[in-house]
Amino acid sequence: MSSQGQMMTQATPSRANLGLFKRNPPIAGEAEAIEAAQKGDAEAFAKLYNLHKRRVYTLCLRMLGNVSEAEDMTQNAFLHLFRKLGSFRGESAFSTWLHRLTVNLVLMQLRKKGLSLVSLEETVNPADDDTPKRDFGSQDQILAGSVDRVTLERAVAALPPGYRMVFVLHDVEGYEHNEIAVMLDCSTGNSKSQLHKARLRLRELLRNPSPPHMSVYPESEQ
Amino acid sequence: MTVQHHIDFDHLKPEEFEHILPDLFATGDGKVSQDPRLKKFLADNPDCAALVSDLEAIAETARSLFEPVAEPSDRVWQNIQAKLQEDSVLASIDDDYIDPDAPID
Repeated sequence: MSSQGQMMTQATPSRANLGLFKRNPPIAGEAEAIEAAQKGDAEAFAKLYNLHKRRVYTLCLRMLGNVSEAEDMTQNAFLHLFRKLGSFRGESAFSTWLHRLTVNLVLMQLRKKGLSLVSLEETVNPADDDTPKRDFGSQDQILAGSVDRVTLERAVAALPPGYRMVFVLHDVEGYEHNEIAVMLDCSTGNSKSQLHKARLRLRELLRNPSPPHMSVYPESEQ
Repeated sequence: MTVQHHIDFDHLKPEEFEHILPDLFATGDGKVSQDPRLKKFLADNPDCAALVSDLEAIAETARSLFEPVAEPSDRVWQNIQAKLQEDSVLASIDDDYIDPDAPID
């Protein structure tokens, strides 16, 4: 297996993965479906698809930012899963393993689209004038209590890709900075800094939300 | 060692606070507002306290986004099935392949 293949299917039970294990409690019937699917049972594979399609698709949608690419990537992730299922050893929750596989496929796709290691760093490190203002704000504009998942989802969709990636990986998916640093080939400090900038940008976006009639994720993003 | 080790929290300035804030969020459980070293500073600097409160609210709400919100169209599963069927046909062709140059018993 290539090192890339190993990276996509590794299931090291790190602290973050243990956290995800807690967030991914075993699903009734999943273990049996995995075992059957590993033996080539098509119905069992269909069951795994139905159990995990929403989570995988939502992850792809958040990271890629448009419906069409997210659907293609979901398809790719499950085809990859079918081929690699035999290597799943149960060292972490199946959904954690599947998430890791999906994240790595998305990152590979983004690199193929031109986000090479250098340009990825540039995307993750926008020019200084693109950096969110350190606006300390004032108490009467405080967001606490007014942020709900719908408005936050909309704001996340409006983030630049580099910010969105780090925010989704850390704050939504629960990866730690050292894991993100490996995935994005950047430093841990860089991951921390970009997450902070992403949150600052979200704060700005939440204070000045886009019109509510706009779709959260477009069909295609130019 | 983090940058926080070099900070005098009793005489912290807003610019210094801004500088160490990413690190403060990354350490511990990320609850900067509950950090006892910052209690006085945040009480004396309400704008910084508001910033911390907002960023904590964003991070906390983000955790609720872990639950999926969207579903792929039926097209995705149809494509997966078609692709797996195609692979299966190709695999069976491979299995049936007879080397024309193989010696005949």
